[in-house]
Amino acid sequence: MAKYILQRLGYMVVTLYLIATFSFFLMKMLPGSPLRAKEKLSEAQQLIVLEKYGLNDPVPVQYIKYIGDLLQGDLGISFQMKNQAVTDILLNRIPISAQLGLYALLIGTTVGMLLGIAAAIKNNSWVDYSANFVSVIGISIPSFIFAGLLQYYVGVELGLLPIAFWGTWQQAIMPTIALAIFPMAIAARFMRTEMIEVLGSDFIVTARAKGLNETAVLFKHGLRNALIPLVTVMGPMAVSLMTGTLVIEQIFSIPGIGEQFVTSVMTDDFSVIMGTTLFFAFFFVFIILIVDVLYGIIDPRIRLAGGKD
Amino acid sequence: MRKKNWFLVVLVLMLSLVVAACGGNNTGNEGTNNAEGNTEGNNTEANNAEGNENAAASDSEQVLNITEASQIPTMDSSMATDAVAFQFLGESMEGLYRLDENALPIPGIADGEPEVSEDGLTWTIQLKEDAVWSNGDPVTANDFVFAWRRAVDPDTGSEYGPFMMNDVIANATEINNGEAELEELGVEALSDTELEITLAKPIPYFHSLLTFGTFLPLNESFVTEQGDDYALSTENLLFNGPFTLENWDPTGEDPEQWSLVKNTNYWDAETVQLEEVNVSVVKETSTGVNLYTNGEVDRHPLSAEYVEQYAGTEDFRSLPEPTLFYLKMNQGTEALANQDIRKAIAMSVNKQDLVDVILANGSVVSNGAVPEDFTMHPETEEDFRVINGDLLTADQEAAKEHWQAGLDALGVDSLELGLLGGDTEVATEMDAYIKNQLEGNLEGLTVNVSSVPFEERIARDEASDYDIQSSGWGPDYLDPNTWLEMWTTESPYMTMNYSNEDFDALINEANNELLTEPVERYDNFLEAEKVLMEDAAIAPLYQRARAYLWRPDVQGVVFNPMGADFSYKWAYIE
Amino acid sequence: MDKEKLNNEKLNKDLFVPAKKDEAKREEIRRPSLSYWQDAWIRLRKNKGAIFGIALLIIVGILSLVGPHLNENDAYQQDLGHSRMPPRVPVLENISWLQLDGTKSDEFQAATVEEAEQKALLRFSIDDLEYVEFELVDDGTGSEPATVVGHFDVYAEQDMDEIYYWFGTDTLGRDIFTRVWTGTQVSLLIAFVAAALDMIIGVAYGGISAYYGGRVDNVMQRFIEILIGIPNLVVVILMIMILEPGVISIIIALTITGWTGMARIVRGQVLKLKNQEFILASRTLGSSNTRILSKHLIPNTLGMIIINTMFTIPAAIFFEAFLSFIGLGLQSPEASLGTLINDGFKSLQTNPHIMIFPAIVISLIMIGFNILADGLRDALDPKMRK
Repeated sequence: MAKYILQRLGYMVVTLYLIATFSFFLMKMLPGSPLRAKEKLSEAQQLIVLEKYGLNDPVPVQYIKYIGDLLQGDLGISFQMKNQAVTDILLNRIPISAQLGLYALLIGTTVGMLLGIAAAIKNNSWVDYSANFVSVIGISIPSFIFAGLLQYYVGVELGLLPIAFWGTWQQAIMPTIALAIFPMAIAARFMRTEMIEVLGSDFIVTARAKGLNETAVLFKHGLRNALIPLVTVMGPMAVSLMTGTLVIEQIFSIPGIGEQFVTSVMTDDFSVIMGTTLFFAFFFVFIILIVDVLYGIIDPRIRLAGGKD
Repeated sequence: MRKKNWFLVVLVLMLSLVVAACGGNNTGNEGTNNAEGNTEGNNTEANNAEGNENAAASDSEQVLNITEASQIPTMDSSMATDAVAFQFLGESMEGLYRLDENALPIPGIADGEPEVSEDGLTWTIQLKEDAVWSNGDPVTANDFVFAWRRAVDPDTGSEYGPFMMNDVIANATEINNGEAELEELGVEALSDTELEITLAKPIPYFHSLLTFGTFLPLNESFVTEQGDDYALSTENLLFNGPFTLENWDPTGEDPEQWSLVKNTNYWDAETVQLEEVNVSVVKETSTGVNLYTNGEVDRHPLSAEYVEQYAGTEDFRSLPEPTLFYLKMNQGTEALANQDIRKAIAMSVNKQDLVDVILANGSVVSNGAVPEDFTMHPETEEDFRVINGDLLTADQEAAKEHWQAGLDALGVDSLELGLLGGDTEVATEMDAYIKNQLEGNLEGLTVNVSSVPFEERIARDEASDYDIQSSGWGPDYLDPNTWLEMWTTESPYMTMNYSNEDFDALINEANNELLTEPVERYDNFLEAEKVLMEDAAIAPLYQRARAYLWRPDVQGVVFNPMGADFSYKWAYIE
Repeated sequence: MDKEKLNNEKLNKDLFVPAKKDEAKREEIRRPSLSYWQDAWIRLRKNKGAIFGIALLIIVGILSLVGPHLNENDAYQQDLGHSRMPPRVPVLENISWLQLDGTKSDEFQAATVEEAEQKALLRFSIDDLEYVEFELVDDGTGSEPATVVGHFDVYAEQDMDEIYYWFGTDTLGRDIFTRVWTGTQVSLLIAFVAAALDMIIGVAYGGISAYYGGRVDNVMQRFIEILIGIPNLVVVILMIMILEPGVISIIIALTITGWTGMARIVRGQVLKLKNQEFILASRTLGSSNTRILSKHLIPNTLGMIIINTMFTIPAAIFFEAFLSFIGLGLQSPEASLGTLINDGFKSLQTNPHIMIFPAIVISLIMIGFNILADGLRDALDPKMRK
């Protein structure tokens, strides 16, 4: 296992390097510069400003310099926030988004799983139908509409919770709920599908036949087997949550990384876009590693190094 | 409440979902959880009530809570380029002069009006002796010399430095191009309180230019000591303005909230009434409106959708600004080189509907190349727009005639033109409208809209890669020249291949021979605008205004036509 | 008697003839032979929910084709004089709770009832109260301020009694009914094409990757990780730059990163299945790799594939809406459900009808796909056969 993880970490570095290279050249193909008043400057003046950012060098030179800085954890200077290091800008925002994403993921998947299990056990009953209804509504309504309604009714009309900003736990409630709806719906549906399938399989019949109590059957045998596909979908879901935060963060004025990403896209702040891209990439590659390791723990039948021919 | 039934239906669905979700979650300890939930709910309610009380009480305490649409990109006056940066520089720093409520320069650090030599090239300014930085250092003439040299130094990489100073201050262009030493810049400290400025040529609007953020002083020893860290956060800044900027740290715990606190060391501190201005970044209009409704903020900009709801209430304020929007028509293309075609396009858009319905924020129709309420005739004191009147108005019938004449001259019966525009919501909606108006009024015309991000639009603009472009311009100094010089043949902004010798001659004369003859110079500008509009070089659309929700008891905030949008120096809460 | 009786009951041996022993017929299958798909269809038909889902999708599909031609308005024709008209439908306008009667309503508070009513003038930007009906909520004599609800008949005021905008109009005065169905066409097109591409690429990729395993799997998974690691937003921006913004570039952008989710799910399923006994049996019987993949592994993962596809479709519709949100979506004046909802969201508090109708249509599509997906899953799973 340790060897396997080490090997995977090695791959991770290669993957990240390729992503850094790929996105670097993508950025070079797009228009965008640190110039904020470009339309007011002559070409000569523009070149003087670009010189400061090292953007007059040939692209290969810029690339080598970028990768070199990257190895030292330096993501360069923001195009928009003059002189601010991209690393510093991101570092303070990541924990906020991570917190929000984690809350939403935990609440969403927990509630979703319970809904899915309940629906599977009481298949084709009103429990099933209402759980289904809830998950259909959950994926049918965009989270920003839900966020807008929550903000207006709970925040303004009822005055129960703060309307915006981040800091106290009360401020976290509405964005978390708005963000948790989507993972909840997905988790509920996957869980239901898998549980129905698993509950119909032979080893569950065997477990029941040998006299295990129902709880043990459901959770020890049923849930464990039903979790596998849920784990596969959790990885992409975590990242979609991270990016999904950008709409929610914007609506609730939360200074997270998603909100920063939208801003940097809007302001063509390529050094920050690159930094955010790399962060998301790192985060995702890392999640995939965890998912694969979890696979092995949940289902020993899957051989981590891949099947033999 | 009928209108709101829609919400209720959706909300009930949502709530049923949440309730169902919670029900599934904690069937075991529902009782306790609910009890907990209730007390928590009460607590927050109590908190809210407290918050409201605070807000109410703070009114008399002179605290203002406002929102901004984005963070402050920089507090380094040499690097600043946008409205938010100039806004907070303007509040926390004091330059030689400051714009008053009539947009006229009044002394700041300067002690009285400047002494100008007869040739208009040498300006001598006395400084106040009691102006100090927030670390106790006096503000001296050398602080200006240092700041201005820094702004044009190519190593600084400033954009507004060369933009504002080249061809204005003596030797600025040479220094910026690396052809002269920094010390040769036309600004000199005769003593600690006497500053001498040498201009490259007489600049009639130089007095108002001195109020601009790029001309703010910098404390040399502090800036040098901070090096690359200068202006990264509140801790790396010094202030000499009406307020000090507190809790500003773009890489800190909360990068999107900061405040302005009254500066007791400010030379004119007794005039400043506000104790504190708290600023939060709010990007979503609905969020800002909700915050305003709950009394948490005192000002928030409104989008057109909300104007319908608030127009006419005492909270609604519309602030006109001298920013013009127009269509640039690339005369390098065969079709648009034809004056009739250009006139047809310029006359066929119903601008009144555009400002009333789509923008709905108090913007006004523009029928010229210079905005209203911007500059006055030096002799008659009449507004530029009033003197020249409406030069290019919407007239669908005339447009159709011009269109036919144009098509005949070109020998075609249909035309296909591209319309390049921005990708913001207002821009795309407006471009959809313009397309519809043009195609509806001009038979045989097909307009292909492409909405692109700002950088891309500028890139295509510079490459003259467009047929028609939906574009806008804000002034950089208080003089009609800022609106007209860009349409001369040699101007770096001339990307639409328009060239008219008469126009060039008028502008050229105004910026050379007539620099010291304000009246004749102004007449030249009036004449030049007529030439420009007669050619229908551009198709003016509208002059922008901005709609705000604004607490009625907030008074005395000054709205500036250039530089910082607002001045809070004289603001107070009733 | 008794004996006789017994005798009578004594059975004659001649009555019994030994049955013909036909070994061949003993194994005869009497029930009609059904292919996998026939069987699935029979079970799908029995599922009322699934039939409802199909019906719903068919109705929406037909409306999206027919809807734009049901009235004389077209999707792009603007009339600023008819800006933001509330919805009004013949007959239904008389059922007040439906609010399809062409009125705008709001609540007004002031010290007295008259003052509250005067506020309506400003809110509706009108000069007199001729077309406003008021409903008294609180007369203001108590501690609460006077509160009235005003209903403003926009159609009457505009002198448009003969005109019906069924779903109302947007800011530019375009008919929302026509735009919603035009937008539905575009959204469905984007979603179907993107989901189909995702499915084809993802299933092939995931199946091959998991089945061959070893180095092949390793290389293929690294490639996926690289692709997934780049936020799709960046890819989309590039696509919009390289291609002209529009439906095709959105589909390409969605597909470039979208198929990876499907590939990973198929891979997970195949990994789980490939070591099971029936695969071993099939291999022992000499099946080729292609046969095992296409006849055994893929059909057994179909449930997951279909459910995932049913999530890809709403995801595609929503991602398209998200693109509009950041200004990279369809170009004006083209409409999709996503852009319509985004436009409407801005005026949710003032003119909710602009958002409600596209939102309802999107929800109907989602609900249709989801219950159909459930039915299909039950129908396609061989283990559900009873």
